[in-house]
Amino acid sequence: MVKLTAKFILAGDATVGKSTLAQLFRSDGAHFQKNYAMTVGVDIIMKTVHIPETSDSVELLIYDSSGKEIFYEIMEKLWEQPSVLCLVYDVSNEQSFNSCAKWLQRVRARTLCSHLPGVLVGNKTDLVGRRTVEQKQAQEWAAQNDLEYFETSAKEMENFEVPFRSLAKSFHHLYQEKVETIHSVV
Amino acid sequence: MTKVSDVCLSSCGATVVLATSSDEHYPPENILDGKLETFWTTTGTFPQEFIISFNGSARINKLTVQSYLVRNLKIEKSISKDPISFEKCAEKERRESLNCWILLQRKIYLENSEGQLQTEEFMLSGCQATHLRFIIESSYDHFVSIHRVMADGAMDSMSPTA
Repeated sequence: MVKLTAKFILAGDATVGKSTLAQLFRSDGAHFQKNYAMTVGVDIIMKTVHIPETSDSVELLIYDSSGKEIFYEIMEKLWEQPSVLCLVYDVSNEQSFNSCAKWLQRVRARTLCSHLPGVLVGNKTDLVGRRTVEQKQAQEWAAQNDLEYFETSAKEMENFEVPFRSLAKSFHHLYQEKVETIHSVV
Repeated sequence: MTKVSDVCLSSCGATVVLATSSDEHYPPENILDGKLETFWTTTGTFPQEFIISFNGSARINKLTVQSYLVRNLKIEKSISKDPISFEKCAEKERRESLNCWILLQRKIYLENSEGQLQTEEFMLSGCQATHLRFIIESSYDHFVSIHRVMADGAMDSMSPTA
């Protein structure tokens, strides 16, 4: 049995729903934030995820980061040595999708590790008529950048847990791989 | 007669009194068992640290740390009896320019040597310690391992060698 700890960076433009997703996940779907409250700097949320078919778990330290540029200088320091990355955009806001490349580059610059597990999340899929970013387009970009792709609707409470659980699993897998590597080096 | 030997072994009474990570398959005790094949793993995020306590006071000439993927390692020592007061004194040391509690504080940038273990030696010229604190501040991967810490020296209860 092992309990891993992962520094989980939640990034993306302002108002795409990062905090709403994080709060839903933290509260197991009990807490949907109806009113917008801008995140100032970074909110840290802790939640332990059990890894299926093992007795292991991963404690996620979720760095719910402001999407406002004004806080970027502070966030850059707080992001040092990230473990996993969750990029969020709003499927009805093309600009937020275009910004993902910038956020990805910023977080990857904070690590020396050769592999940083990451996911891309298209949120607000409930806004069907207002959708401007097609699923295929986002999936392609995610694949090109070595990210897993998910779509969620925090409002409809659809899929909100999946990106978190997926990243916990990836991190656990990395640990197992690393331990094997260490054995082979000795 | 005194013998200079590795005092950093569980068979010599050394123990790991604190470690910030623990996987039951790779416990911190593996650092002191004298074997390179067994190791302690860190389980995510940095910094990580462990404290080794000697069975009394030791005089150390040389420290050797064998590890994997460690980038920045800081070693501190204490001559305090109780390992709990160790940290308090370390904080104090930052405010005062020189303090008897911490005689050693080193920041070492280890070279990234993927594919092989790192062996780093630190010459300490007979300094005294009851506890050693190792702080891994950064790494080249999400997880690192410490295989062995060797301390060439002697326990103080024996007279020091020339």
